[in-house]
Order: sequence, then C-alpha cells, then structure tokens
Amino acid sequence: MESITSVDTTHLHLLLNHVPTVGTVAALALLLLAIVRRDEMLKLAGLEVIFVIALLSMPVYMTGVAAQHKIHKMPGVSDTAMSVHQDAALTGFTVAEFAGFVAWIGLWQSRRRGRAAPGVMTAVVVLSATSLALMGRAANLGGEIRHPEIVTAAASAMDPAQFVTAQISDIMVNSPWAWPASEAVHFLGLSLSIGVLFAINLRILGVMKHVPFGDLHRLLPWGMLGFGANLITGMLFFVGQPGQYLDSAPFYWKVVFLMVAGANFLYLTVFKRSWAAGAFTAGFGDKAMAVLSIFSWLAVLYGGRMLPFIGHAF
Amino acid sequence: MGFLAWLEALPLSIWVHESPSVWAQPTILTLHTMGMAVLVGASWVLDLRLLGVSRNVPLASYRWVFRAVAIAFTVNVITGVLLFASKAATWGTAFPFLVKMLFVAASVAFLVPLRTLVLTSGPEQVEVAGNARFLAVASILMWAGAVTAGRLLAYLVP
Repeated sequence: MESITSVDTTHLHLLLNHVPTVGTVAALALLLLAIVRRDEMLKLAGLEVIFVIALLSMPVYMTGVAAQHKIHKMPGVSDTAMSVHQDAALTGFTVAEFAGFVAWIGLWQSRRRGRAAPGVMTAVVVLSATSLALMGRAANLGGEIRHPEIVTAAASAMDPAQFVTAQISDIMVNSPWAWPASEAVHFLGLSLSIGVLFAINLRILGVMKHVPFGDLHRLLPWGMLGFGANLITGMLFFVGQPGQYLDSAPFYWKVVFLMVAGANFLYLTVFKRSWAAGAFTAGFGDKAMAVLSIFSWLAVLYGGRMLPFIGHAF
Repeated sequence: MGFLAWLEALPLSIWVHESPSVWAQPTILTLHTMGMAVLVGASWVLDLRLLGVSRNVPLASYRWVFRAVAIAFTVNVITGVLLFASKAATWGTAFPFLVKMLFVAASVAFLVPLRTLVLTSGPEQVEVAGNARFLAVASILMWAGAVTAGRLLAYLVP
C-alpha cells in the first residue's frame, strides 16, 4: 500500500498537465463542430470530454503541488515562479471545474429531454474557453519554474503572503471555525452523494425493479450537489494543509477511486439502456458497473477517513 | 460516574482507545462513517421523494430504504457504543455529545411514521399527504444536525 506514494509525482504532473490545455482545445473543437453541423451526438461527446477533463484536472493540480514540495530546494528552481504558477493553476482549475459541472448539467438535460438547453451550451463554451486561457497562462508560468532568469521583476518582488493559495491556507489553518465547518459540510455532502448513488445503483442491481430508470435519474443532480460541496471543501483542506496529503497513501488511493467513481457517475448520467422500457433488467456489465460504483465511493470514503491513521500521522 | 469509569476501564474499551492496530479505533471510526453515509443518505433519498424528487416513483418502491437504514443503524449502534466506551468518562459528560444524541434520537423518531407511511401505501400510490412533507423536512434537518454535531465533536470535546 505504501508503494503508491513512491509514484514520481513530478513526472506524473508533466504528463497529466497537458490534459487541461490540449484536452480543452480538442473538446472546444468538438463542440464548435457539433454546433456548426447541428450534430447532437458530437455535442454529447464534447460535453463528456469536458467533464472528464474536469475530473483529471484534480490529479493535475495535486501532482503539481506534490512536485513543488519535492523540487523547491533544488538549485535553478524559482520558488516564487512556482507560487505564481500555482495561483494561476488554482484559478484555471476552479473555472475548469465549473465548466465540467455545467457540461454535466448539459448531459443530464440531454438524457432527459433529448438536448441540452441553449444557455447551458453557451455557458459551457464560455467557461471552457476561459479555462483554456487561464490554463494556458498557468502552463506558460509553469515553464518559467526552470528558468529563473525570465521570471519578471514584479513577480520576484512579490510578498509570499500575497498568493491566493497562501491566503486560503492562512484562513484554513488559523481560523477557529473554517476547518471544522468545512469538515461538517464535507460529511453532509458525502452522505448525500452516497445516498443518491446507493439508490441508483441498487436499482440497477435489481431493487425497485418496476421503477423506470428515468425516474431515478432525477436524483442525480442531488448526488452532484453533494459531490460539488465535497470538491470545494476537499480543495480547501488540500490547499490549506497540502503537507498532510502529499505523502499519504490513503490520499493517493482516494484520488484514484475518485476518478473511477467520477467516470461511473458520468456513465450513470448518459446510460442508454432502460430508458425506453418501464421495467428493465440490467445485464451483467451494468451490474458489474453498479458494484464497482458502490465499491469506489466506499473506497473514497475509506481513504479519506483513514487519512490520519495510515501512512503517516498528522 | 462510577459506571462511566467502569465502562472505560473494560479491556475492550482500552483496546479501542490504546491499540495502535488499524483495526481498533481507525476501522471502527471508518465503519461508523460508512454507516452514517448509508443511514443518512438513504433517509434523505426518501425525504427528497416525499418533497417531489422522482415524483412518479410509487412510495411502496422505497421499502428498501428501511432495510438499508436497519443495517446501517445496527452497524452504527455497535461501532458507536465501542467508540463511546473507549472514552466513556469524556463523552458521557460532554454537552455537545448529548446534543448529537438528541439529534440522532429525533431523526430515528421521524423514521417511524415515515416507515408506516411507506409500508402502508398501495403498490401504485404516488400521492404524498401534506403532513408527510413536514416529516420529510424534519427528517432532513434532524439528520443534518446529527451529522454536523457528530463531526464537530472532534473539535468541541477535547
């Protein structure tokens, strides 16, 4: 179990960090093609790619912070450049998550009504284009980390406490209520998400046999609400005290299973079979997916709850 | 006070509290959290249905909620008693803990009429009576209080 923390996060970051930039270019191209050709399938593909980019942006951000902790004492590496890059990345990440969230709403609407609302499509394109610009800027600033000679004078004169990440961290660590309140919200969110996904996956496994899948699909936005609350509070913890998570094996597993659970959430949203007929019996593949989903969410919870106990204590 | 001290001095309580094993407090606490997620989550799914989410689904289809709740509640009573016993003198005299238990008791109390409502509804019945909506709102709020109070115990009770 410990071996997962020996993953070379610096190289992983250099590999994954192309996803938010190159991936978003591809996703926007798909969406623009879809709009020009009036092709609903292509539109769905574009929305799905944007959702997946939002998911993968989490490990991109986290491996980036891990890389910073590993290389900040190396010669030829600018600490200020890394903090500037990190602030830019957090801004891009936030917009990318909103883009993924709105893209998910579009997918949910498409499943229910055959197409996403025009306002949602506009919002996805605007948010994705903004995220691409911000991520591009972050990528550019990231390139300066190894080249301290091109760090601008203004940046190197910055007070370390000015960085957004430093300010969030300051509030999370020093405020008497910020961390506890976020923990309480995190637990409310996990209960909501797990309750909703439990209900939908039990339906696939054969409970509530006579209920059309489409009727339970209505619940998904509530699962997304819980997930959103937990993404926000979870990021506050991570930005607040990254050192607690970077060498922690349960945290690595948690992020791995979060990717699986997120992909499964997408599958449940766009899932085709079962919609036409009232009662349906899921095939083996769907049942395996449902079991995997319940297992992944419990694994995410396990990784989170075991954080203080396995790996290293804090 | 004698009872709490006796409870805390039991070998099992000491094992939960002192053992460095991952199977002691860490696993018990994690099972307690998983039980909470299923217990509260399944209750909320039913509450949301009563408030109009997935309104086409007959109420009778929600019988599974009470099986899930029964299993999760059993897990949480067992793990909860173990966690209480491991620090009985602390929990037994802490006001925030009493608040949490009152929220849990109220949440469970609201589940009783909700269960009757689901078990007595016809196979195709989808209409929800007005007072059931009140029960649903109360259930959502009481569980939210129980989860919040429970999580804050770590900060309020030293």
